[in-house]
Amino acid sequence: MGDYKFAKDKLAEVVGALKDYEVFAPTAVGDVLRFKQVEDASGVSLDYKNTNVPPKELMFPETETLFKFRVGQTEIEPAVPDESSKRLVFGIRPCDAMAYTIVEKLYSWDYPDPYFEGRRSSSVLFGLACSEPVPNCFCTSMGGGPGSEQGLDALMFDLGETVYVKTLTDAGEEAAKAMGLEAAGDAEKKAAAAQEKEAQGKIKRTLDTEGIPEKLPSLYDHPFWEEFSDRCLSCGICTFLCPTCHCFDIQDETEVFNGRRARMWDTCMFPEYSLHTSGHNPRPTRKERTRNRISHKYSYFPEKFDVIACVGCGRCINYCPVNIDILDILEKSKKAEAKEAKTA
Amino acid sequence: MVDEKKLREKAKEVLARDDVRRLIGWKRGTYGYESAPVVIKDASEAEELIFDPTCVQNPASFITLEEKPPVPRGQEPDTRKVAVMVKGCDSRAVVQQLVEKAYPRDGVIVLGVPCTGVVDRRKAQKMFGDTSEPVLIKEEGDKFVFTIDGETKEGPRAELLADKCVRCRFPNPLVYDELVADEVAVWGADEFTDVDEFEKKSPEEKWKFWEEQFSKCIRCYSCRNVCPMCYCLECVVTKQRPQWTRRSTDVSENTAYHIQRAWHLSGRCIECGECERVCPVDIPIMTLNRKMTRDVKEMFSFEPGIDVEAEPLLSCYNPQDPEEYIM
Repeated sequence: MGDYKFAKDKLAEVVGALKDYEVFAPTAVGDVLRFKQVEDASGVSLDYKNTNVPPKELMFPETETLFKFRVGQTEIEPAVPDESSKRLVFGIRPCDAMAYTIVEKLYSWDYPDPYFEGRRSSSVLFGLACSEPVPNCFCTSMGGGPGSEQGLDALMFDLGETVYVKTLTDAGEEAAKAMGLEAAGDAEKKAAAAQEKEAQGKIKRTLDTEGIPEKLPSLYDHPFWEEFSDRCLSCGICTFLCPTCHCFDIQDETEVFNGRRARMWDTCMFPEYSLHTSGHNPRPTRKERTRNRISHKYSYFPEKFDVIACVGCGRCINYCPVNIDILDILEKSKKAEAKEAKTA
Repeated sequence: MVDEKKLREKAKEVLARDDVRRLIGWKRGTYGYESAPVVIKDASEAEELIFDPTCVQNPASFITLEEKPPVPRGQEPDTRKVAVMVKGCDSRAVVQQLVEKAYPRDGVIVLGVPCTGVVDRRKAQKMFGDTSEPVLIKEEGDKFVFTIDGETKEGPRAELLADKCVRCRFPNPLVYDELVADEVAVWGADEFTDVDEFEKKSPEEKWKFWEEQFSKCIRCYSCRNVCPMCYCLECVVTKQRPQWTRRSTDVSENTAYHIQRAWHLSGRCIECGECERVCPVDIPIMTLNRKMTRDVKEMFSFEPGIDVEAEPLLSCYNPQDPEEYIM
């Protein structure tokens, strides 16, 4: 595919030229960043690290309507996203794009999910390589990296005054044409490669995942989980802010005669998540819930889909208010003495 | 200054007792400017304990976070005590929990830690940047001295203290069985100038402010779960039958959640500031709670978490209570 560039001070023009696309980019409210639809291209900036809320919300919103209904009537009005609309995610980090390729495996599995798939297939992903990874990034241990191309249609490198754009798919190429980008030369390519190498060196935290998926089930009843779960708040930070966590709850909401069925983010860290109608809860304490979160990502998911459901973005570590550090848990899991394997 | 050696000795002594099953304190975090709260069950782990300006968390939160699953038939419930280390602010949570009879006084052993103030992670990050190594912080006069990635850096204490410490009136624990260090002098005062400042906004400005803040909320409930006073077994916002608050996130439901929580904490919030600290999207939750705190103080001359013998404000009646808002 092609190599392009644009001058960074022309960023607003470049984004503004995407008239046929709904463009999404990181937007700040105070110090908090999340991806929102761009209303004014002059507000778009490449000067940010990771967004607080991952862009998983663009494919899997916090709350979304599945269909609408009228109380007492049998017809429903589906609210499936329009696959023909063109969406462009501008400045997505490589880890967050890689997360889509993982979640996709589940959402296209036994029952293809038209909501996630509809948004995903109509979205062009313009990635932004990382030059300044944040302290708890460990993407390089998870098969990604600051310049990883997985899931992306194009990857941008912020080289200071110039932005180098490498297109990776036809959809990326088409969008680059719409942006009116000029051709890049060897100088930009070299600078991008050097930046990627330097960024890799800045990633301080690492994990050797060898053997973890196979070992975790043997630690099912192990007391080592309590070292972490005893201080767990059982809140939703680690899972809601995880780019690969994908669980939802479904609720019917009515106002007089008009109703909707909606789904919203749910988390295995809430006690209500696994509470049965009978009143029995198979995960009654934070120990079982902590074990489930880690085991699902690092054992059950890879067992089914052959990939660990973690991209090393570091958000669960950065935002946990009680310092439950997934790398610390996994390192300790390696040292814990295994007992007989037991499945979930 | 707290002597950590003495603190660990005291912890070992308590954990060695037959009638104690766990101790809650602080240990070094795996990275950055904050410690990690820790629950210790064996005296051999007491060497992990620390106390310094990274110890921002309120250990009293973890007394009520512990689940109490039904005891299997034929087994006796574990009635051994829980030991908890508390700073002055944290001790107010224990006082209020005792006032509300969350647990009996002899169910806990309170180890008081006189405190001269802790560092606000967000302020330190702005001043010195991020790091993936644990940061060591010492207080030296009117400065905090940081060791970040092996380098020594200094910053003014006044600019780095957590907000709750700037106005701290209770650096010494208000309830304890033993103090692990000598009491310290009080340095702060609370004139509620932040509340005065916020009240200058017009109703429209206030609404705009809160609409923007609540629109950010992802309803992770970390503010509720970390709160030492939010210990209901079933919270009104997660109740399904009847469902008072919808699970869907939008500015209306999010606002309903935060207002309900502020009301349920009126006359109960002990201002440890944990709700605001833990928020992953920086909602200034204490701005709501502080308004309730001041109203309660002005209207009813009541401050929660000060006196173990007090009655809970909303379950007692005084003929002198103001009634202007009723008629």
